[in-house]
Amino acid sequence: MKYAWYPGCVSQGGCPELYTSMAKVCSVLGIELEELKGAACTGAGVLTERNPELADTLNARTFAMAEQVGAPLLTNCSTCQGVMSQANAKLQADAKYRARVNGHLAAEGLEYKGTAVVKHLLWALVEDYGLDNFKAKVVRPLAGLKAAPFYGCYILRPTKALGIDETPARRRYLELLIAACGAEPVDYDGKFKCCGFPILTMNEKNSVNMVGTHTLDAKGHGAHCMVTPCPLCHLNLDGYQIKAAGMKGQQINIPILHLPQLLGLALGLSAKELRLNHHIISTQAVTALAKA
Amino acid sequence: MRAALEAKRRHADVALISKVHPVRSHSVAAQGGINAPLGQSDTWESHAYDTVKGSDYLGDQDAIEALSREAAQAVVDLENMGVAFYRGPDGRLAPRNFGGASTARTYFVGAITGHAILHVMYEQLLRAGVKIYEEWFVTSLVNEGGFTAGLVAQELLTGRFHPIQAKAIILCTGGCGRVYEPSTNALICTGDGMSLAWRAGAPLMDMEMVQYHPTTLPSNGALMTEGARGDGAYLRNALGDRFMSKYAPNKLELASRDVVSRAEQVEIDEGRGVDDGLGAKSCVYLDCTHLPREFILERLGEIYEIARQFANVDITTQPVPVRPGMHYMMGGIKTNVDGRTRVPGLYAAGECACVSVHGGNRLGANSLLDTVIFGRRAGAHAAEFARQVEFRPLSEGAVLDSERRAQEVLGRPANGDSIAKVRMELGQTMHQYAGVWRDGKGLNTALSRIYSLKERYQRAPVQDKGKVFNTNLVFHWELGYMLDNAEAILVSAIHRTESRGAHYRTDCPERDDQSWLKHIVLDYRPGAAPGIQYAPVTITRWKPEKRVY
Amino acid sequence: MQVTYLVKRLNPERERSPRFEQFSLEVGEYDSVLDGLIKVREELDGSLALRCSCRAAICGSCAMRVNGEPRLMCKTRVRDVAEDGQVKVEPIGNLPVLKDLVVDMGPFWEKVRAVKPWLEPPPEKPEREYLAPNEAMREVVGALACVMCGACVSNCTVWEVDPNFLGPAALAKAHRFVADPRNSDNAERLKQLGEYTGIWDCTHCFYCVQACPKDVAPMERILALRREAIAHGYTNHNGVRHSDSFAQSVKQSGSLNEGRLAVESQGYLNLPALLGLLPVGLRALRAGKMPSPFHHKRPGAAHVKRIFEKVEGPRS
Repeated sequence: MKYAWYPGCVSQGGCPELYTSMAKVCSVLGIELEELKGAACTGAGVLTERNPELADTLNARTFAMAEQVGAPLLTNCSTCQGVMSQANAKLQADAKYRARVNGHLAAEGLEYKGTAVVKHLLWALVEDYGLDNFKAKVVRPLAGLKAAPFYGCYILRPTKALGIDETPARRRYLELLIAACGAEPVDYDGKFKCCGFPILTMNEKNSVNMVGTHTLDAKGHGAHCMVTPCPLCHLNLDGYQIKAAGMKGQQINIPILHLPQLLGLALGLSAKELRLNHHIISTQAVTALAKA
Repeated sequence: MRAALEAKRRHADVALISKVHPVRSHSVAAQGGINAPLGQSDTWESHAYDTVKGSDYLGDQDAIEALSREAAQAVVDLENMGVAFYRGPDGRLAPRNFGGASTARTYFVGAITGHAILHVMYEQLLRAGVKIYEEWFVTSLVNEGGFTAGLVAQELLTGRFHPIQAKAIILCTGGCGRVYEPSTNALICTGDGMSLAWRAGAPLMDMEMVQYHPTTLPSNGALMTEGARGDGAYLRNALGDRFMSKYAPNKLELASRDVVSRAEQVEIDEGRGVDDGLGAKSCVYLDCTHLPREFILERLGEIYEIARQFANVDITTQPVPVRPGMHYMMGGIKTNVDGRTRVPGLYAAGECACVSVHGGNRLGANSLLDTVIFGRRAGAHAAEFARQVEFRPLSEGAVLDSERRAQEVLGRPANGDSIAKVRMELGQTMHQYAGVWRDGKGLNTALSRIYSLKERYQRAPVQDKGKVFNTNLVFHWELGYMLDNAEAILVSAIHRTESRGAHYRTDCPERDDQSWLKHIVLDYRPGAAPGIQYAPVTITRWKPEKRVY
Repeated sequence: MQVTYLVKRLNPERERSPRFEQFSLEVGEYDSVLDGLIKVREELDGSLALRCSCRAAICGSCAMRVNGEPRLMCKTRVRDVAEDGQVKVEPIGNLPVLKDLVVDMGPFWEKVRAVKPWLEPPPEKPEREYLAPNEAMREVVGALACVMCGACVSNCTVWEVDPNFLGPAALAKAHRFVADPRNSDNAERLKQLGEYTGIWDCTHCFYCVQACPKDVAPMERILALRREAIAHGYTNHNGVRHSDSFAQSVKQSGSLNEGRLAVESQGYLNLPALLGLLPVGLRALRAGKMPSPFHHKRPGAAHVKRIFEKVEGPRS
């Protein structure tokens, strides 16, 4: 099983623990990754907002690279997934537009033929790898751990481009994987909502308010930790949680795990290997449970 | 809203009262467009003639002249206020074809023209600062010394009844489509204004003239715009024939609505109907499949959506089964060209009024035009009238009367027929006996049923006993209004022993200008059958002739 | 088919908090959720309060949440949403409930009124209509197709934490005028919309795009307004600096430099805001997640720069 791996900017920047845990988890599962080292940023929605054609061209470039590898693209970021899914839907539906975009790629000798498949690790594990196969690899069931899923907007909406209209179950995969790890998924209002990251620099108060609202919501429903397939959500929920606690006037202290970190624990990897010590909110509550 | 805007522009102190938020009003559902003789080779006379002919010569030609003369400016005014009409390559307004018109003169916004106009009207009301009482339900109009004194309305949020004093009241309350089941009309189209005015002493006219639209969906009665046929869609029977060539060899699918609806019904009755998806062959096909997909999505997007939702049909690739469905009320509160009724200070405009510009049959895209032309005229005249008269005292008794009626209804024992049941029987009766085909016997049967429904209505209980947002009580008020409307429709239809426009009597199938080139006017008489009078048809320059499309 | 409706109810005259009530009913294959609700009201409980009128997805009365998703009930078929024969109906969110499924739309309209919701044509009136390209009118029609139902507001994640946010419907309405070639006061409108509660407060969550029953895609219109604001020279905003810094970073290196993004979004001269970043930065540093100040270029970064220059032009 092989993928063209697109690690994205954040796992190579603000969340190095994601890059490491992703690589380790795939290795344990026997998933072969060929990293697309030359691929550019997806634009994270910011470039699409600025200039849709620019963002679509950068993504078409990545898709063309994946076509050369001859394997589906694997992402570890809800935002990358969402931006790529939307760009891909547009490029696949409109051959004229694709030709125009390919015009910008020709100088590099690249052409996007329109065949790319883009899958987040979350989808790839459930749809390609199989939950049963995954469960077979679990050596350390996380019994007693209550984990609150936090999906990230871009992997949920719009449902058409994300294939959720055809596969509505994609809105439940995180719960399925949490359960497959032996942990208990926590249901709460916030799981499909926004972490606030995109407006952090424009309206920090609202952004931090979102962090506080959802972390407290998860905690109020008994969660020991939150699990997210989106490093941007992680950055906000983890990085601004202390500020949010100040705003809300309540202790929060709920660790925010990247999806591969949770999986890695169940697969027997150590907290250190998963770089769980590289969080702002201590993950000790989780690692202690995983040791027991 | 056009009336309120005009009155406000003329410095009257205006408030708008509506049982729903103004943008929920049923004009929002008008799809195809609005007529105006704006084209270079078009004339107001041509539009007027088409309208006269469409009305089967029952329309009053002075009113139709006003409509047609002012249409061009009215549409330009709407454009200037912000309505985003579709354009031609030169950036000017570009019309589409419509039924019964001798040239393309229907200006449109996709298939949401009514929506586009209604929202712009609301914008203009906000801009002008007109006070709006939304979700207030009018329970009675009050006269004092023969003049309008005001009204009583129930605020839905609190259930409270309020008196509102007014020197002039303009009723713009729409049609009474829900008197029929099924109907293309919204659930709010319950003929409130017609009944209120009637009981307040303003007569109703042309009430027998009920339009069946040729293309409605069998599942829920939803409308498929005439704009589809205007833009080139065909009607086909089960054999695949474009049957309209038999009935209207020149205009084909674009004959007037009464003609097309009857043609469809003949095809269906004679066994050439297509499956309605409900187990009967009660439909014909509306076929757009020869039109380019892009063209359909751009100009008919709304009905593409409606057909997909409610008939499971993609109109770009499949024909959609349609059938005639109750759509519009030509009749209404008798007014002159300034919207005045018989009661001084009481005005009406739009579908609830009968000026009469539509006569026996309204042309497509003349209804939005009617609302803005006569809305404006009524607003102007009412503002002037209000300047000249004093407020009349509005007695406390009027409010007490509404409160007492509400108390009585809320206190009824739970054992009567439900309001919903009475309403359903009413609708089905009207559809069965006062639809595309009518005859004296059936109409009389229907009328006696309506009288028995009126009695059952007097005992129908209301389940919701609360004050806040008691929609159950609203349905009770509405049903009372609907029964009045139904009675007026049937009495007029029984009386008119000829066939004209939408009123087709199988027992007297010919038009009879000798006896019936006149309006039937009904007076409300408490506790008795309506009083029947006649009004002459105003003829200015177009003499009645045989109607061929 | 037989279904169970689970309807959220609140009678403000009798109770403080809402409760769910169950109704069993038979619905037809093409029946909408609204058809079922009307059936409940007519046959099972006449006191059920809801707004509805046209039944054809144009009057905008019947926005509610079905199984959590805001939709127009008349445009939603029961068979498409029933989960194990169950349909859960609740009032739309983010607005106060008046009774059962009826919400107070007051705050919704207040926002609409705040965006000067009418066309401001140029003072000199044309003899007839204003000339305008049909393509522009079609773009405008895409926005004015809004039926003001409130579905987009229901799950708006910003409105939830900040009720001052103008919200998707009002901002889409604002775009309807800004996009109209006949409108004459775009500069003032865009200035106002660029302030707090306006276009830069949207968080890109796509909820409104997903919810809109008329494909207005309010969020896309908010983003279009941002582009318009920038084109009108309203660039002194963190949102603009954020976008510029983001673009520069990707253009120069192929990838994003988050450290630089955080600082540049505030502006190098905005000392208080920069100081505000310090605690978060220090915590990140301690956790070993401070992005390296030495941002490396990706292989092929030169091609990325070339694409920027070709598609975006000399602007960035």
